[in-house]
Amino acid sequence: MKTVGRNRMGIAILYIFLSIAALVAVFPLIWIILSSFKSPGEMSSHPLAFFPKNFTWVYYDRVLNNLHFFKNIKNSLLVSLATTLISIVISALAAYGIVRFFPNAGKKMTKLLITTYMFPPILLAVPYSIIIVKMGLVNTWTGLIITYLSFSIPYAIWMLTGFFQTVPLEIEEAARVDGAGKMRVFIQVVLPIVSPGIVATAIYTFINSWNEFLFALLLINSSAKMPISVALYSLNGSEILDWGEMMAASVIVILPSIVFFMLIQKKIAGGLADGSVK
Amino acid sequence: MRTISEKYKKINKTGLLFILPAVLIVVLLLIYPIFSSIYFSFTSKHLIKTRIDWVWLDNFKFVLTNPDFYVAFYNSIKWTGLSIVGQLLIGFATALALNKIPKYSGFFRILLIIPWAFPAIVIAFTWKWIFNDVYGFMPNLLTAIGMTNQNINFFADPNFVFGTVVFINIWFGSPLFMVNILSALKTIPSEQYEAAFMDGASAWQSFWSITIRHIRGVIGLLLVLRTIWIFNNFDLLYLITGGGPSNLTMTLPIFAFKVGWGMKQLGVASAITVILLLFLLGICLLFFKLLTKWERDDR
Repeated sequence: MKTVGRNRMGIAILYIFLSIAALVAVFPLIWIILSSFKSPGEMSSHPLAFFPKNFTWVYYDRVLNNLHFFKNIKNSLLVSLATTLISIVISALAAYGIVRFFPNAGKKMTKLLITTYMFPPILLAVPYSIIIVKMGLVNTWTGLIITYLSFSIPYAIWMLTGFFQTVPLEIEEAARVDGAGKMRVFIQVVLPIVSPGIVATAIYTFINSWNEFLFALLLINSSAKMPISVALYSLNGSEILDWGEMMAASVIVILPSIVFFMLIQKKIAGGLADGSVK
Repeated sequence: MRTISEKYKKINKTGLLFILPAVLIVVLLLIYPIFSSIYFSFTSKHLIKTRIDWVWLDNFKFVLTNPDFYVAFYNSIKWTGLSIVGQLLIGFATALALNKIPKYSGFFRILLIIPWAFPAIVIAFTWKWIFNDVYGFMPNLLTAIGMTNQNINFFADPNFVFGTVVFINIWFGSPLFMVNILSALKTIPSEQYEAAFMDGASAWQSFWSITIRHIRGVIGLLLVLRTIWIFNNFDLLYLITGGGPSNLTMTLPIFAFKVGWGMKQLGVASAITVILLLFLLGICLLFFKLLTKWERDDR
């Protein structure tokens, strides 16, 4: 009986701990949502009031109609999707090539690849800002996508080799005996097996491109071409009205991400634990 | 096995075609830029001026005799070390708790994961708003409950600014540790705990010899990746404090950015980033040695 009682105490403490942790994790989100609906007077006179007294849509109206935020969201979507698509195609081919055709040299290659992860973005920023200018790609999505491939492809190859290693050779052999070509085996037999891994890798790539800030700051300066991260940066909090706009813009950016994250959270976790660690 | 590998040796040409696009990308987008950065670090490359001179080690001399560089270096290590320890502790503790509780673990998990979805710019806006010295929730709360006489300016007060940014980084980074440690915890076969219990092992003993042993590979990998990531991270600190007040939160990436694009000295900025890379290479070699040793021990 005594141990049961102690166990219950322990479980209660765990729930209390998790509740506090969850409160700290969630509070900022709740706070920016509530703030984005408060009138400027309310924000400055009652900084501790929780719920807005008079709901206002004024900041959302300003952000969407005066600052044309949807355009920036569209830019971000375009750049991130293109980066993800190109990265996945190139990395899936490479990961499969490494696993199937160069199993021994491949191990060393992937180890070398992961060292590129330690290249500081700021180190690449110097040559990129010079090269992209020389190529005349400043203020273009092409220029931005090229630089995003630099960090997404090595990581994607690294994650994907882990998944491709789980495909049994016998299945491919069987397909080959049936007369399928190498490319067909890859597309029709291997890819469906590793599709969960591909989805996880694609999500990772997409999120990293969506959140990228430094290269976008250096390579895009026309507001019509800016991705959302840099467009948000151009807002500044010098007046209370600006803070309202910043909160509304933040909510617009963060809500879809959070829904997306909740849907895919198990997949990303699987990415690191199932794929690359083995 | 031999026959299969021989068969595949013949078709290595196809193999090359599979990896060729990736090799091209890596060479053009990583190898070549790295070498051009190293080259620029020996030159007087300027952001706008076209004239460029070979200056030998002048940039490195300038950097290594600059007190700001050492401030930034020290801050980088402090920022990375404190953040990573905090993220690991919180992530590990929440993962263990989620794994242990009988009910609602899915619900808590979803709430705890939310900070991970925040892009750096939104993290900056959100916390700058919460900690705003005039309208912010936190300083006003502390004053209202009588802990402070007047609102603290968390991002300007030298006593608080570093702790505040580290706290924000821990808030942001813990979910990644939690999620990955939790999925590693789930792969531990429960029979091992039962067997240990039968053998009379205490809870503490089975925690060390079963739990930690099983997940230390994942933890090691997370530590390597996140240490590099935090050390290299530019946007979070740049967007929250910009390195200030008076260089108190200036890390090496921000220092390089200010020299390269503020002072327009791209050559000097290259020298800083090359030093940064060398330092990271050293740290990673150490980490990888440790990881391979663990892998060997597990066999």
